[in-house]
Amino acid sequence: MRESDVLVVGGGLHGLSAALHLALRGIRVRVLEAQQVGANASGYSAGGVRTLGRHVAEVPLALEALDRWHRITTLVGETCGFRSVGQVRVAETEAELVRLTERAAQMRALGFRHEEVVDATTLRGLLPAVAGHVVGGLIARRDGYAVPLRTTQAFGRAATAAEAEILEGVRVSDAERRDGRWILKSRDADTYAAPYLVNAAGAWGGRLARAVGEVIPLGFNAFQMLLTDSLPPFLTPVVGAAGRPLSFKQSESGHVMIGGGHKGLADLDTGQVRLDVPRLAYSARTALDLFPILRDARIVHAWAGIEGVTPDELPVIGRSAVADGLVHAFCFSGHGFALAPVIGDIVADLLLDGRTRFPIEPFAPDRFSRAATGSTPRGALMQPAG
Amino acid sequence: MSAPVALRICVLGGGPAGRAALARLPGAVLIARPQATGWHAEPGILWIESAGRVRPEPFDRLLVCADEPLLLASLGCAFTEGHLVADGAGRTTVLGISAAGRVTGADSADAAARQGAAAAKALMAGSAAAPFPASLPESSGTAWLDPFDLAALLERPADPARDARLRAHGILAGPVRPARPVSLAALASFVAEAPEPHPPQLDGGELA
Repeated sequence: MRESDVLVVGGGLHGLSAALHLALRGIRVRVLEAQQVGANASGYSAGGVRTLGRHVAEVPLALEALDRWHRITTLVGETCGFRSVGQVRVAETEAELVRLTERAAQMRALGFRHEEVVDATTLRGLLPAVAGHVVGGLIARRDGYAVPLRTTQAFGRAATAAEAEILEGVRVSDAERRDGRWILKSRDADTYAAPYLVNAAGAWGGRLARAVGEVIPLGFNAFQMLLTDSLPPFLTPVVGAAGRPLSFKQSESGHVMIGGGHKGLADLDTGQVRLDVPRLAYSARTALDLFPILRDARIVHAWAGIEGVTPDELPVIGRSAVADGLVHAFCFSGHGFALAPVIGDIVADLLLDGRTRFPIEPFAPDRFSRAATGSTPRGALMQPAG
Repeated sequence: MSAPVALRICVLGGGPAGRAALARLPGAVLIARPQATGWHAEPGILWIESAGRVRPEPFDRLLVCADEPLLLASLGCAFTEGHLVADGAGRTTVLGISAAGRVTGADSADAAARQGAAAAKALMAGSAAAPFPASLPESSGTAWLDPFDLAALLERPADPARDARLRAHGILAGPVRPARPVSLAALASFVAEAPEPHPPQLDGGELA
């Protein structure tokens, strides 16, 4: 039996952030990853570093995480390809612009100043290639994007440098709490033990929760992405749309990534995804409607990342309601990438101190069983995946 | 008694193998460049780009006579040490998918034509795929590519070294798709309205 202080299940971005923050506090951490670091959504998201349009409950975490992205080299030793180019949500109708204006007012009323309405002229200064029918937008100027796989691997390297151990190809097949310790067995019949356990298993996190007696109502999606061939530079900020799912950006290499939420189909048992061509086509149509400059572009790559989703599209972060020594941090519903630098810190707080200074009550694992009315929290603009 | 339903047979590739196969497959649909490109495949559907549009071409049997290893890989056909796994009649490890020509090792036009004819005959006979070992070795390498690196690789002209790297990535991360670039505008023209979003998929699975 292999012992440590903490076992982390899941070698995605949040599991590795947890491992890093725990290791930096001198804790012996072992990460068990079923495949390879960053194999699923962490490595293959759109990489959005976004405070813009988030659910009110996520805004404090997103702003804290954004500050950390601006000094990400200090945390993980490299830039992760982070570029603070801003994120813009464009309005295609006056009604959408009204909604964006109301959103900015709501944020200001809550004391947040990071979202700013811009008129059509200002928007065209930011997005010279945007379509003529766009009437304005909402911008968060300090937002941006990073490179997902590079980021995930950087967190992994930093955790390893801090003496966390990351084991790839270890699929957990059983979990039980015995004599104050978590005992995990792998498919290969190895056994791992630790007083504390972190569930960072992404779309598979519900299975681990159920195995320890905690039922959390989850689903999963395969968020689809498209990449064009390399094009001359025409776009700097990351662009979303107020009325349709879209996450749209151009990398330094010239490739344009189009994502935002149109889904394929996935199989959690095999990890395989099936692209949905009509929905890919609608993503392409949205991009072309907003950026006619793409008319001669070609799609060279398409893929989908499997991500857990909750009924309220908020993550599950917090101490287990039924089991001691267990903290959940999973099911980020397609927009958890940006939060990674702070999530690990929160997990470390919860494990070591039993509480955190960050407001995480809205993400409590038992919130669905407590919400007898079944009401769905709202307060976000449309959430583009990634 | 109901009448037998005709199989929808699709032949991809208009070279010697494809022409020889088509001559023996009355009613089969030929997809051949430059008029039409098969850019993506999923079980039962070949996606075509033609005349500035994309369209699905449903099939019951697909005979790939073009050098399209990525398309075959996307359908789940096995490769071993860089070579497509197929029996003497071109049947791959996936039922209903056959191949002939360069992609199965033909080194001349005559050899490709012979393979095409043999594959067509086997398709018409309707015999089941030959049994293959459950597990076939394939060099996985260590390639685990970021999507942007993958895109840059896909922009390069196809050659054996490029395709080997793409297959190695595919072993780790799933098949590389689409098999060929497709016009964004052609793809966009396929839908006019937003499709209903897929609801979240539900999972009742257990640790295993």
